[in-house]
Amino acid sequence: MASFYDYFSLVLFFAIPLIMTALGALFSERSGVVNIAMEGIMIVGAFVGILFINGKLIPGIDSAVEFTEAIGGVPVYLLGMIIAIIAGILVSYLHALASIKMNADQIISATAINTLTPALALFLTMSLALGESAGTDKLPVARSLYLIDEVPLLSKIPFFGELFFQNVYPGFYVGIIAIILTYIVIYKTKFGLRLRACGENPHAADAAGINIYKIRYLGVLISGAMAGASGFIFVIGFTIEFNASVVGYGFLAIAVMIFGNWQPLKIVGAAFLFAGLLTLSDGISFFPALDNLDIPEGIISMLPYLITIVVLVLTSKNSRAPKAAGQIFDKGER
Amino acid sequence: MKKVLGIFVLAFMVFGFAACNGDSGAEEKDWNIVMITDVGTITDKSFNQGTWEGVQQFAEDNDIPAMYFRPNDGTQAEYEAAIDLVVENGANVVVTPGFLFETAIYNKQFEYPDVRFILIDGEPHTPDYSTYETADNTTNILFQEEQAGFLAGYAAVADGFTKLGFMGGMEVPAVQRFGIGYVAGAFYAANELDFSITFPANRYTYLGDFDASPAHITAATGWYSSGTQIIFAAAGGAGQSVMAAAEAETGFDAKVIGVDVDQAADSETVISSAMKRLAVAVQQELTAIIIDGEGNGGTTLVKGADEDAIGLPLGDSFKWDTFTEAEYETVYALIEDGSIVVPATEDELETFLEAHAGNPDVADLVEATMSEAE
Repeated sequence: MASFYDYFSLVLFFAIPLIMTALGALFSERSGVVNIAMEGIMIVGAFVGILFINGKLIPGIDSAVEFTEAIGGVPVYLLGMIIAIIAGILVSYLHALASIKMNADQIISATAINTLTPALALFLTMSLALGESAGTDKLPVARSLYLIDEVPLLSKIPFFGELFFQNVYPGFYVGIIAIILTYIVIYKTKFGLRLRACGENPHAADAAGINIYKIRYLGVLISGAMAGASGFIFVIGFTIEFNASVVGYGFLAIAVMIFGNWQPLKIVGAAFLFAGLLTLSDGISFFPALDNLDIPEGIISMLPYLITIVVLVLTSKNSRAPKAAGQIFDKGER
Repeated sequence: MKKVLGIFVLAFMVFGFAACNGDSGAEEKDWNIVMITDVGTITDKSFNQGTWEGVQQFAEDNDIPAMYFRPNDGTQAEYEAAIDLVVENGANVVVTPGFLFETAIYNKQFEYPDVRFILIDGEPHTPDYSTYETADNTTNILFQEEQAGFLAGYAAVADGFTKLGFMGGMEVPAVQRFGIGYVAGAFYAANELDFSITFPANRYTYLGDFDASPAHITAATGWYSSGTQIIFAAAGGAGQSVMAAAEAETGFDAKVIGVDVDQAADSETVISSAMKRLAVAVQQELTAIIIDGEGNGGTTLVKGADEDAIGLPLGDSFKWDTFTEAEYETVYALIEDGSIVVPATEDELETFLEAHAGNPDVADLVEATMSEAE
């Protein structure tokens, strides 16, 4: 039981940033702009956020410990996330500018961001000596400072209390809120309707008096905000040293979005499937019964990908991308 | 991304050489030491970093320029290109930590007879292993990692841990020796002290790389939550992932044994470290080459307990609960004088367990220590 509980909490840890990034990408794609720069934006969000919580951006504070002692772990974490969100928005603005205003190819501008950001983060870390000591290319992450031991009252609920309200990072709750808000915004608001229209048939939307450029800018900037936050959540949850990498999670999230057929609830399901299978393949020992079968490691590692292919084959028939995603909007063209 | 980084380091280095050549002209020969990193980074808090600290210390003490260079990729072609590059830029002592440099050094030692090579953890040979040859300008340094692993395994069992695990990085000989020694030490202690321990074959693994990653955290969390109490992480930077998992374990006091250098400062969970004194060894050889003017070119230095080149950290980093420093010294002395010959291969381990550890029923575990291909 303890094993299963540990397994499930790891799955949650993995799934939350994956879902947030995928939902971010959804906002952008639904508005008609393909955004494969999620990886790069996550890295920037994590980089700037961690610099902030380590006290590097505030004069007079030298370390993460000092900072948390001053105002508490959770407030520092949330402030760091807000900084990460701002950083994410700024980077995604570059992508929006290139692909909406300048009519550049959306794939190329996003690829430029993905190539530039890790190198820039490493360069800044090393040249400005932002790590623990000069010459190191890694930022220390004092993750245990931000852990919430237990939420009063709620943690007493049997099973769920232990799962959701003990030993969690604040980012977990932010992620849950983001899922709910995304669903409401996309399906229940005027903005959501316009966003979807922009991604399906921008000319019709334009004829109906919607400002396509404005909606697309908003779509891309929201995706940047969510990627920035999720980069921060991911790195705090999974590293004790940040070396300008989110190990491909940004790309995995785009796969999750496609897998989830550009629909928020299906994306949540797809993310849990991915996270569950990946955690299973790395942590077969969570399930003693499976572990003792002595299945060759190679087979276990292949499992998530094999199952993904099977599920894709079965479901891809119904999959459809927003019609105008990736297309440059030209007012004069009909 | 690595390429870009490579260019930065290169630019830095060329600039560095230009600056250094100017002010060291007074010496007979302008020595330039360059270390080329193995897979993993200079800040791995382990193998590369330990070696680099030795190089740096020597360079500072003797006012000789030293640089490091990180190859773009862990391939033979990249290693050879890295050697070409640093030699063309004026390096005349090249330090290469890592077994993976064996064939690159084999080729380059003949190409650059005037350059001194120090190869740690390996001996130069042709790619097909048919010819081993160490030229006069190359010094090989090998450690008896199995002895350090043995001490770690012995200490863990003597301290009362009963469920053990081992996570190695890549399955290279040095890592294998750490693991084999650890298994031998654990079962030796269990037999001597009449303790019962659990060390199943599926708690002995090679992770396949030396880098920290979420996948390794997941794997280590899985082990801890299914009852493993202590994991020996002979895995360079990947050891940081094991420590992260141990820190997150709330059910009990999960422990990690570190590797290569004293890793106690990295995490509260590091109870000890199976060290090899890389920094000391590399400084000794640099002194022999540069200060004494000779060096041990053409030979392989094997460093073990008899030279005090391996061991567990003492003092503040000696965090065992019931296992004492006196007991440690006793076992250490037995290894030092040869009373215990620690096994270094799968076959030796099998014989050792039969003869000295009460022949425990662990054939699967022994098999897991070396894969068939090796």
